[in-house]
Amino acid sequence: MSWQTYVDDHLMCDIDGQGQHLSAAAIVGHDGSVWAQSSTFPSLKAPEIAGILKDFEEPGHLAPTGLHIGGTKYMVIQGEPNVVIRGKKGSGGITIKKTGQALVFGVYEEPVTPGQCNMVVERLGDYLIDQGL
Amino acid sequence: MEAVVVDAGSKLLKAGPAVPDQAPSMIIPTQMKRVPEDGSLSENSLCEDIVVDPVVRGYIRDWDAMEDLLHHVLYTGLGWEIGNEGQILFTDPLCTPKAVREQLVQLMFETFNISGFYASEQAVLSLYAVGRISGCTVDIGHGKIDIAPVIEGAVQHIASRRLEIGGVDLTKLLAQELSKSNPGVNLNLSDVEKLKENFSCCAEDEVAYAKIFNSHDGEEKHTLPDGQVIKIGRERYTVGEALFQPSILGLEAHGIVEQLVRSVTPVSSENHKQLLENTVLCGGTASMTGFEDRFQREAGLCSSAIRPALIKPPEYMPENLTHYSAWVGGAILAKVVFPQNQHVTKADYDETGPSIVHRKCF
Repeated sequence: MSWQTYVDDHLMCDIDGQGQHLSAAAIVGHDGSVWAQSSTFPSLKAPEIAGILKDFEEPGHLAPTGLHIGGTKYMVIQGEPNVVIRGKKGSGGITIKKTGQALVFGVYEEPVTPGQCNMVVERLGDYLIDQGL
Repeated sequence: MEAVVVDAGSKLLKAGPAVPDQAPSMIIPTQMKRVPEDGSLSENSLCEDIVVDPVVRGYIRDWDAMEDLLHHVLYTGLGWEIGNEGQILFTDPLCTPKAVREQLVQLMFETFNISGFYASEQAVLSLYAVGRISGCTVDIGHGKIDIAPVIEGAVQHIASRRLEIGGVDLTKLLAQELSKSNPGVNLNLSDVEKLKENFSCCAEDEVAYAKIFNSHDGEEKHTLPDGQVIKIGRERYTVGEALFQPSILGLEAHGIVEQLVRSVTPVSSENHKQLLENTVLCGGTASMTGFEDRFQREAGLCSSAIRPALIKPPEYMPENLTHYSAWVGGAILAKVVFPQNQHVTKADYDETGPSIVHRKCF
C-alpha cells in the first residue's frame, strides 16, 4: 500500500458515515520529508517541523509562540507528551501523532469535531506503530 | 432521559440531571463512614467507625469507596434503574493524571454499564456557567486551589497552577487559633468546620487586618453543640487573611491575586487582557464574606499593568453559583455534547478501551 493511499483512504476518509472529512492530512518523516499529503495540505517549512519535533521532546515548547503549519498559527491545547500534539484555531484545529518514524497530520474544520479528528489520526498512527513504522 | 452531571469534590459531591439553570438536585458530603461488617451496633461500634474520604485534594483516591458512593448517588439519589443506565458527565480537576481518568471511564462502563460518558475540566465548566469561553478561573475548594487560564475552552496547562491548600487547611488553622485563645476547650474538626463556614470573613485590606489582629474587641461568644462556650474574635479574619498572605499557613507563596497575575505570564501576551479581565471565582471557600471585595481591592494593588476583574454571573443563574459553578457548566455542556454524539459511547469504549477518554473528551 503506498503512502498516498494511506492519506487518501485512511485519513481523508468519510468520518462516521456522515459524509464529513478532514480538510487536510499528511504523513511526514521525522526528517521533514513528506511521504504523502492531501492536495489541500499546506507546505511545511523547516523551522515549523523542527519546532514540532522539539515540542514532542519538551512539551510546552510551542505553547508560548503557537503551533505554525505552512504559516497558519494554531493555539496549542492539551496533547499527550511525546505522542500527540493538538492545536486549535477558531472552530477547527489540527492533530499530530508521532509514530516510530513519521508524523501523522490531520487538519479539521467545522463541523468535524476535535474528537473525530483525533480518532482518525491516532487510529492510523497506532496502526503504523504496530507495523513498526 | 436527561444526562446526569456529577462533580465530585473533596468535601461535597454535586450531582443531578443536566438542567442548567437550577442548582444540582443532590449536594451531599463526599466523606463516608465505614460501618463494621458484622452489623453489631453495640456501644463499641462508634469508636470503630472509620471515616473514609474517597476524594482527596480533588482527585479520586479510594476507588471502592467511590464506587459505593456513586452507586448510592445514581441508583438511590437520582433514580436510575439497573439495566437502564443513561449518560453521565464528570468534572475533572486540573492536571488529572491520565491513569485516574482512564480508571474512571473503566469504572463507569464496566461496573455501572452506562451508555455514554464525557469528562471535562472544572475550570472550563465554571467559565461556561458564567457565559464565557475564555478567562481565568480561581477555584478555591476544600482540598486545593486551582488557578487556570482558559482560552476558547482550552485550558492553558503550562500556565495553570495548583496550590495544595484549601478549605481543609483553613479549618485546621481556625482550630489552632481557637485553641490558642480558648485553652481548655475541646474542639472537634467538624464543629470547627461549621464555625468556619458561619463566621469566617476577610478584612478590607492588610492595614485593617493588622488593626483587628492587635485589638481584642469584637469578640463573640458562641455555644458549641456539646455545650462548651468559646469566644471568636480576630480568628475569623485570620482565616480569610490566610488566602491573601499564605505565610499565615506557613507557606512561602504569594497571595492569591499575585498568583493569578503571575500565572498568565507564560501565555502569549495578546491574550493577557482577555484572561485577566474575565476572572471567575468559584468553590465553596470563595463565597466567604468579604472575599470578593478584598479580591477586587488587592487586584487594584497588584503588580501587573492589567487589573484582574471579576465576572458577574448572569441573572438567570441561581444564587450561590460559586458553590457549584462547575456542575452548572457541566449541565450546559451536557446539553451540547450528548445530543451531538460527541461523547464516548459504549461501542467506542469496547472498540478502543479506556484510553479513548483522552481522544474524545476535551
